[in-house]
Formats: sequence, C-alpha cells, structure tokens
Amino acid sequence: MKNDNRNAIIAIEDSIVQVRDLNLFYGTSQALFNLNFDIPRNKVTALIGPSGCGKSTFIRCINRMNDLVDSVNINGSIQLDQQDIFDKSVDVIDLRRKIGMVFQKSNPFPKSIYENVIYGLRIGGVTEKPVLEEAAEVSLKRSALWDEVKDRLHDSAMGLSGGQMQRLCIARAIAVSPDIILMDEPCSALDPRSTAHIEELIRELNGEYTIIIVTHNMQQASRVSDLTAFLYEGELIEFGKTTDLFTVPVKKATEDYITGRFG
Amino acid sequence: MNKKLLKRNKFYDKLAHYVITIGGVAVILSVVAILVLIVRVSLPLFQPPTSEIVDHKITVTEPLAVIGLDDYQENVFTIDQKGVLSVFSLQGQETVPPVDLGINHDAHIIFTSRSRTEYSLLWDDGRLSVVGISFRPVFNAEGTRSIEPQIAMQGEYASLPTGSPLLQSFFATSVDEDAPGTVRVNLHQDNSVSIFRTSISESLFGDVEETDESFVIPAYFETISALALSEDGRQLYAGTGGGTLLHWDISAAPVLEDTVPAFKQPITALGMVFGSQSLAVGTADGSLTTWMGVRDSDQSTTKKLRRIHTLTSHDSPVVAILPSRRDKSLLSWSAKGELHLDHMTSERNLYNFALGSVSLASLNDRGKGLIALTATGVQLLKLHNPHPEVSFKTLFGKVWYENYDSPEYAWQSSSGSDDFEPKFSITPLLFGTIKGTIYAMLFALPLAIFGAVYVSQFAPPHLQQIIKPTVEVMASVPSVVIGFLIALMLAPFIETHLVALILCFLLVPLCFVGFLFLWHYGQRFKAIHEMKSGFEFLLVLPVILGGVLLSYYVSPFVENQFFAGNFTQYMFENIGATYDQRNCIIIAFGLGFCVIPLIFSISEDALSNVPSGLRHASLALGASRWQTAWRVVLPSASPGIFAGSMIGLGRAVGETMIILMATGNTPIMDWSIFNGMRTLSANIAVEIPEAPVDGTLYRVLFLCAVLLFGMTFIVNTGAELIRDRLRKKYAQY
Repeated sequence: MKNDNRNAIIAIEDSIVQVRDLNLFYGTSQALFNLNFDIPRNKVTALIGPSGCGKSTFIRCINRMNDLVDSVNINGSIQLDQQDIFDKSVDVIDLRRKIGMVFQKSNPFPKSIYENVIYGLRIGGVTEKPVLEEAAEVSLKRSALWDEVKDRLHDSAMGLSGGQMQRLCIARAIAVSPDIILMDEPCSALDPRSTAHIEELIRELNGEYTIIIVTHNMQQASRVSDLTAFLYEGELIEFGKTTDLFTVPVKKATEDYITGRFG
Repeated sequence: MNKKLLKRNKFYDKLAHYVITIGGVAVILSVVAILVLIVRVSLPLFQPPTSEIVDHKITVTEPLAVIGLDDYQENVFTIDQKGVLSVFSLQGQETVPPVDLGINHDAHIIFTSRSRTEYSLLWDDGRLSVVGISFRPVFNAEGTRSIEPQIAMQGEYASLPTGSPLLQSFFATSVDEDAPGTVRVNLHQDNSVSIFRTSISESLFGDVEETDESFVIPAYFETISALALSEDGRQLYAGTGGGTLLHWDISAAPVLEDTVPAFKQPITALGMVFGSQSLAVGTADGSLTTWMGVRDSDQSTTKKLRRIHTLTSHDSPVVAILPSRRDKSLLSWSAKGELHLDHMTSERNLYNFALGSVSLASLNDRGKGLIALTATGVQLLKLHNPHPEVSFKTLFGKVWYENYDSPEYAWQSSSGSDDFEPKFSITPLLFGTIKGTIYAMLFALPLAIFGAVYVSQFAPPHLQQIIKPTVEVMASVPSVVIGFLIALMLAPFIETHLVALILCFLLVPLCFVGFLFLWHYGQRFKAIHEMKSGFEFLLVLPVILGGVLLSYYVSPFVENQFFAGNFTQYMFENIGATYDQRNCIIIAFGLGFCVIPLIFSISEDALSNVPSGLRHASLALGASRWQTAWRVVLPSASPGIFAGSMIGLGRAVGETMIILMATGNTPIMDWSIFNGMRTLSANIAVEIPEAPVDGTLYRVLFLCAVLLFGMTFIVNTGAELIRDRLRKKYAQY
C-alpha cells in the first residue's frame, strides 16, 4: 500500500495550507508517511480514517501542538500562506493565534463564560473593556451560544452542558479571528442533539473560516465537509470532494472503509 | 460456584469495609485521646485551691506567743508567753517534754518575729532569745517514721543597758559567705530604732574575729507602727501611723533611702516576701500591697520603692503579714479575723477564711498546712493549691516581676535559688513560634512554589525526572542534621559574611535583570534562539553564581566604605539593632530547607495534575508558556498549592529540632530578623527534662503543647475551609 500518493493532490485553486512530504516520527516509530495535499481556503475539510491512522497527529502539526511532545520528529513541510511553519524563524505563538483549535474533550477554563471567550484577546494584550465585550458577544453569537448564556456571562463555564461547553470552546477559538479552525473530533463526546447543533454551526462557519475537522463519523464528514481526506496507517489514501469520495471512491481501501468493511 | 464466588466477594467487601472504618475511627480517637491527655495534665493549673479541716485534739490553756506546724502536718508546736515550748501530736499528746526557754521565770514574751527557721522572742525585761525550731523524720529499726523536733538556742541577748524600753525586736543572720554576722534591730518606746551588728571576719590564718557595731536611728516624727527586716539583715523597712513607708539601708551605718508618704492610712503591718526582694504592706483600711525597689530610668543606679502588686483587701485593719517559706505567697489576717492567703506574682487570693478572730497563725514550711489560733481554739487546715503562681494574667499578660524595671512578658522557669520568682509568660513563646514560622515561610514559599511551577510547566521531562525525586530526598534529611549543619556551619559563616548575604539580595536580582536584557537582544543569535526551551537555566545559572561571587568579593569593600568596617557594630550603634549569631535568617534557611520539599512536592503534584486539556487549550490560543502557567495552570492548581503551603506551615510551626539547635532559644519579643526566638515546641523540648512531674512548670509545658495543638488545629481547619472554597471556584469537570 506504500504507493506514491502524489496523485492524491487534486487541483485546488485557492489553497491556504500546502502539505509537502510530511513525515512524522514518535521516537523511532513513524506515524505519518509522506503526506502531500492542499487544503482549500474558507472551506471545510474533513479527515477520516480508523483510530490511530494519524488524523489527530496531522492536525496537531498544523498549529505545532506536537512541539509539546518531546519525542516527536518531523520532516517535510507545511506551508501556511507560503511560509513553512516549521521554520525556525516562525514564532509559534503567532502561528497559534492564526490557527484556532477545538479539542475532542471540551476544555473550558475554570473561569467565567465571559473570561473564557476573551482569554485569547486578553493574553494578546487587549485590555479595552468595550472591545472585549463586543468580541465576546460577536463570538458567542457566531457560535450560537449567545441566547443561552447572555444572562449569565459571568457565571462559571463549568455550569454549562457538554454541548454548550464545546460551543464555548468554538467561540473562544473564533474570538481571536483565526484563519483556520482545527477541530479534533469535536462531537465524539456529545449526544446526538448537541452533535447536530455543532454540525449546524460548522456549516454556518463554512465560507468564513478554513475548518479542518477530524472525525470518526463518516456521516458527519459527509454532512459538513466540502472535501474529505481518508488516512490509513499514516498515509493519505484518497483526497477529494466529499461527494465524490463517498459516492465513487477511487481506492479500494476507501471503499472498504466507507462501506464499513473495516475500521 | 458462582454463588460461592459472590458470597466470598461480599465477605471481603464487608471485611474491607470494617477494617477501613475501624482504622479511620481509631485515628480520630487517638488524636482526641492525645488532646484529652495533654489537656488533663494542664487543667489542674486552673483549678481553684481547696482546703480541708483537719481534726485534732490539741487544746491550749496558756496564752501563746508562737504557734507552728511541722512540714508533715503531724506535730504542732507552741511557745506560751512564759516561754515554754511544747510539741504536740495531733492527738493532743506531748511528744517531747516541754522545754522552758526562759531564764527569768517571771518574764513574759511581748514580741516575736521570725527569720528563716529562727524565732526571736523579746521578753518584757528587755532580753532577746533566738531559738531555732525545725523537725526532721527519724526512722527506727523497724522502719517506722517519727518526726523529731530539733530545738536549738541560737543566742541569748541581754537587755540593753540604756535607752527607752523595747516594743519590738528583730534578729537576722547573714548567710552571705563574704559578710557573715548577725543583726538585731529594736524599736523603742520613744520611737527610736537601735541596731546592733556583729560581723564575723576570718583572717588569712583562720583567726576568727568578731566586731560589734551599734547605731541609733533617731525618732521619726510619726509613730512607727510596723518594722520589717530583710532576711540578710541589710534592709530595714518601717511603716508609720501617718501612712509613710520608710526604707533604710543598714548594711553599714543606716542610710534613709526612701520615704514614701503614699498611704492615707496608718500602716499596720509589714512583712518581707520570701526572698526579701519585695515588701508587703498592710494598712488600717485593710489594703494589702507589695512594694519593691525599682530603678527610675535605665541610667539610674538607685532604686526607689514602687507599688508593684495590689492584693485582695481585708475588711478591717491588717494585723499581721507572714511570708510563705515556699513561694511568693503571703499569709495575712485582719482585726476581724479574716485570714487571707494571697500569691504576690499572680495577685490571686488563694484562700479567704473568716475565722472570727485570729491571734496567731502560721503556714508550715511546705505551705501545705495552716494553723491558726482563734477564739474557738486551734484550727488546723490542709491546703491544696499546687499552682498558686499561675493565673491567666501571668500566662499571657505583662507581669511586673522582682528585679524588673517594668512589667514584662517573660519566660524564665527556673533558677539556682529557692526564693526565685518563676516567670511563666507564654506570650513570648507564641510570638517566637509565629515569628519563626513567618520568616521561614517567607523564604520557603516562593522558592518551593516557583520551583514547582518550573519543574511542572517549563522543565524538559528528563530534567523533571531528576529534580523532583532529588527535592523529595531533601525531605528525608533528619531535622537534627539540618539543625546541626545550619547551627554550627551556616550560622558562623553568615555571621562573618552578613554584608555579602545582604548584597546578594541586591546584586543577584540586578544581575538577573541585566541578563534578561541580554537575553532579549540575544534572540537574534541563532544559537540562543534555537536553544531548547526549558534549558534557559543553563544560561541563568552562571549569572546567579556570578552575582553571589560578586557580592562575596565586593562585601569587604562595602563594609569598610559604608559601615565603618563592621556592619553589626555599625547597625548596633546607629539603629540599636543587635545581631545574634543564631537568628531568624538562619532559621529561615533551616526551616525552609525542611519545608520546601513538602510544599514543592505537593504543589508540583497539583500543577502536574491540572488536565493537560486546559494547558493545550491555552497554548493553542497562542498563550506563551508563562501566560498559560500563570493564568490557567496556577489558578487551577491553587487548592493543591494552598494545601501544600499549609502542610508546610504546620510543619514549620511544630518543627523542634532545627529551632532548638539554631535559634539560641531566647524568649524575647522582637521582630528583628537578626535576633533569635524561642518557640513553643523548642520550649517544651528544652524544659521538659528539668520539669518535676506534676509541678507547675510541667503543667505549663503541657499547656504549651495544648496551645501548639490548638494553633495547628486552627491553621489546618482554616486551610481546609479556604481550600474548599478554592476547589469550588476552580472546580474541574
């Protein structure tokens, strides 16, 4: 299966991220093999694949969260706006301000709802109260949480439900106006109703932000994404329009996976 | 089979349940038991004195001059006014044949006084007899004990050839080895006082020579109503009918030292308090006060009499004041027969008996038996007041002790002499405990917490794995080793390098700030920029070491240039601060070394246990490591860090060995960081070996233990409450 996957690059007119020859090692064991693909601007790209195939590892490369893991070694490049993010001159803090992230398990800070949303702005040095308040309102409205929390902005975020917490995390990511939002299985810990809520939100954000979403749930990928990449054992097997990939997969492995023969 | 397994599981479940319950309850019970135990030992300090009437069959027919009770409360002795000494058992039998002390059988005793075990009897023909009366236990062949009186005529002084007739006469023997001798002081009917002194001097060759001197103090314009002579025969006090207190130094020719016209009432009785430092004065309106010579100011060498303690007043004129021969208690009685036993230091009225009328009374030497001759006969009382010197005020308040210039909080539990006034103020010990703890925590908290933050948030993982166990090994160093090292090595080192140490606190942060600037500009260099994060300390380390070395080498220059060559001397002369070698700087290092591992370890756990999701969320939002640590991780870990700090605080409060070895244990109250202190725990350790079981010191030490227990209990309870609030505030999902 270690075939040349350069053919996975499909023509994308306006790409924001270009992944080139990306290899990633945890110590001596390789987790990502020679990834090459482009991610379009202001579209939703879904990454699917069985557990342990490297989806999460891949998106953590994009905002360099893998730096936190000591044993990780990376070669190859990821270009963001024509700049290699692994270059020594790149300030990782700047990079992360451009790339928001929503985690599998919702992780609001043990602070008030308001403080959670404006956290990114606060650490960025914004202190003007009107600016912060406006940003909070806009972000909460964008993440469809405003109506539910507007009367208790200063209550602890710990009192929210799981779905609300996850939307709060999305609001928190949006508040710093990132170019890209990474979502690492954002609905895996949520009930179907909350999941529907989040999916609706993703569809609403589509067109304004570049969203890269990792998901286990193929229905979800087909519902929310414009493009889908299928990863298997650290390799990119197939990448294409979501509608094509789910209806007429090119690769046998993709077909096997989406039809539920394994995974 | 399955059912059997189920049953067995159930059994083990129950067993575990009971074992754990029993264990938990046992822990609580044993803590409560310890508390109950130490409270029970200290509680008798606050129990009121009790007394018990002793039945006896002693009857007195002749008018008496002296009545007394032996230490075993088995014999009563009397001297009647004709001079016959009789000793009775409690059954009323005479245990030895009566001894006639008189020479002239027509004479009567008109005045008696007592100094130590010697009674001086003044006869109406002007003679003075001095008789020593004591009792000692004798064991016969079968081992049964009997109490034998020892009666010794110490001296017989003839009547004075000239002068007006005598009213009172006092006699004292100096036990001072340098100036042995005897003194007799007489009060005459014409209000004059005569003094006869015999000094015994021994020449180099052992020839003993006696020299006699006599002086007369002319009549004072007010009638002298009472006299008191100190036990060494050097100080003479007189009270007048006009309410003036007079004091002469009669160690040579009499010098009038003091005239205190402070009483609006006639002075009716005087008595020296045990130890002859203080004088008790009773007046016609029943007031009872004690006086002592106090220097007016630090510079003056002369002492002026000042009223120190005011004891419970009587209902009528005070007739007599007798000191206890055991402690600073005073027995006094009034014209209407009110008999008081008061303790001077604590100002406690221990006993107040209304006996109708008292003609004679006496405490035995142990202070546990009281005998009084009243209108209804001889009254014999057994007293139980083991801790008369303890009151709430003496334990926690300022008390004006003998030989002190002002009221003080003082702790001095024992001394070489029997007539010492014990000082049991716990306040300086509480103060010392709080002071030591505060300085130790000032040193330990920032180091431990920031150390934990570095290790958990910044240090590379393999460094973490070295640092944490290393710091934890520090906790296992026995505190006696730490105490030994800091007391014998660090303390002398810091004493000689004090200026260097102070410069360190100035220069090291300065060097560090300078380093930060260099670091900022150094970012443009590839080697520095690409340095692996977490290893910055490798660059800082030489800078800090450089600061320390710089301080070390610059300090002699600074000391010479600005502090006249000797900093401690300069400090003493200019701000009056003294420098003790064993001081709070040393304690801060020592206690710090012992609590840092505790606080560090618990804080590090708390910080590491903050869910990584929170850290990642913050980092993914573009926060720096420091912002993440400060804004997200520290608040979330605050309950744990707080708990760690409180455990450290509790350890610092109770730590004994380091304090014991490195503070000097001086119970002073001074916030200066250059002075030592004495803490409750060290005090217990220092004093318990010399505290007689069930004595006052023993019980006060247990009270210290109760206070220590209480302090740690309050600290821990408060900490738990605060921690609970923090935990609610920063609750994690």
